Amino acid sequence: MRVVVIDNHGQFTHLEGRALRDAGVDQEIVDNDTPPEEIDADGLVLSGGPDMDRIGRCAEYLELDVPVLGICLGMQVMADQLDGRVGSGEYGGYADVTVEILDEADPLVGSLAPETRVWASHADEVKEVPDGFTHTATSDVCGIEAMSDADRDLYGVQWHPEVAHTERGQEVFENFIARCRS
Amino acid sequence: MVDAESFVEEAVAEIREEVGDAHAVIGLSGGVDSSVAAELAYRALGENLTAVYVDTGLMRKGETEEVRETFSHMSSLRIVEAEDRFFDALEGVVDPEEKREIIGREFIREFEREAKEADADYLVQGTIYPDRIESEGGIKSHHNVGGLPDVVDFEGIVEPVRDLYKDEVREVARELGLESVVAERMPFPGPGLAVRVVGEVTKEKVAVARDACHVVEEELEEYDPWQALAAVVGKGTGVKGDNRVHGWIVAVRSVESRDGMTARAQELDWETLQRIQSRITGANENVARVVYDVTHKPPATIEYE
Repeated sequence: MRVVVIDNHGQFTHLEGRALRDAGVDQEIVDNDTPPEEIDADGLVLSGGPDMDRIGRCAEYLELDVPVLGICLGMQVMADQLDGRVGSGEYGGYADVTVEILDEADPLVGSLAPETRVWASHADEVKEVPDGFTHTATSDVCGIEAMSDADRDLYGVQWHPEVAHTERGQEVFENFIARCRS
Repeated sequence: MVDAESFVEEAVAEIREEVGDAHAVIGLSGGVDSSVAAELAYRALGENLTAVYVDTGLMRKGETEEVRETFSHMSSLRIVEAEDRFFDALEGVVDPEEKREIIGREFIREFEREAKEADADYLVQGTIYPDRIESEGGIKSHHNVGGLPDVVDFEGIVEPVRDLYKDEVREVARELGLESVVAERMPFPGPGLAVRVVGEVTKEKVAVARDACHVVEEELEEYDPWQALAAVVGKGTGVKGDNRVHGWIVAVRSVESRDGMTARAQELDWETLQRIQSRITGANENVARVVYDVTHKPPATIEYE
């Protein structure tokens, strides 16, 4: 079992590696310009990052036919590359946010229902989920906090499950790893 | 979480292999990162390690004395009195990045001299993972990351704790028997109190920051903060003993965190805050007011600059 983290130059990328390591799976962090054919993984994490113009070859990684978890910018990349829409939020989402889970059956965040406290850091957000995706979580400061396409195993969260202040962040990684195993 | 026992074993072996019989030098700040790196290097190299502690005048209260005590077993510990040189170099400088650069450069100057004198071929640094991340991401530069290697012609640089987070470094410190360093020392920035005075670094402002930091650390011990600090952030009006005072504004900050990457401002009770305020304004006649910072990280960083 091996999960690869794609580094989109995020502040917390290394913590994503650490969360996977703590969950007991092999993990590796690679640059986002790594050729897709060189990536050998049972699952991918697209990290957060500062800029949609620095996402390297992320679009190609969505075609690798393994489960993908997009975090923060990683989720926005997913929406932007498929047929969703990303725009700037009216209210920056920083630090302590209470997120309401909308879909209890969702494989990624359903177990956190009814709500969970998370740490966030973003100005932009997903405005419309792509076709095939379900809107799975929301908050007062950001409409679309999470989205899932369980058929294609593509998942996104706007918050940072990898940081210590997100209450049940490790559980999100464990739920994702369960999808990578199946 | 790193396994401290095997980490120590591997790190010591790695340093020994890399440096061999050559001589190495390390800058000791008194903080947990460089203390751990120094102790690891000392175990690997013994007499072939020269530990240099530069008293920049930007240290915490009592810090130099504690370093002298903690590392008294290292025969090659050198304590350099460089306060005046640092303040001279910082005169008139207000930009935070420029301040950090100057402090880094002055460090290099002090080091270069000591390293040459010790005839050191290798440099050991206590760089930890978040230092590298923040430097690479352009959020803040850390003086122990950039600069030094470009100026001094070392054969190699050894960074034994480069992949660790602060909580992991602390585990390793306990394993090394550096309990006093872990117990008494909160994380302290490389550039010292210079980044706890917003704007120009003067002896007056640093003295206020030093005393206020000491008060805050003492008063907030029971809250067990990851980091508690005070910073001189500007000037405001006050009235003391019927006299108008145009005095310093001191911001108090206390956060809890696991690894410094994110932080939560602590909820303190009113009496504690009032006691802090009273001690700081009471003992420093040039302080007009004290405020408490309620901002988490993000959006704020832990330190002010």
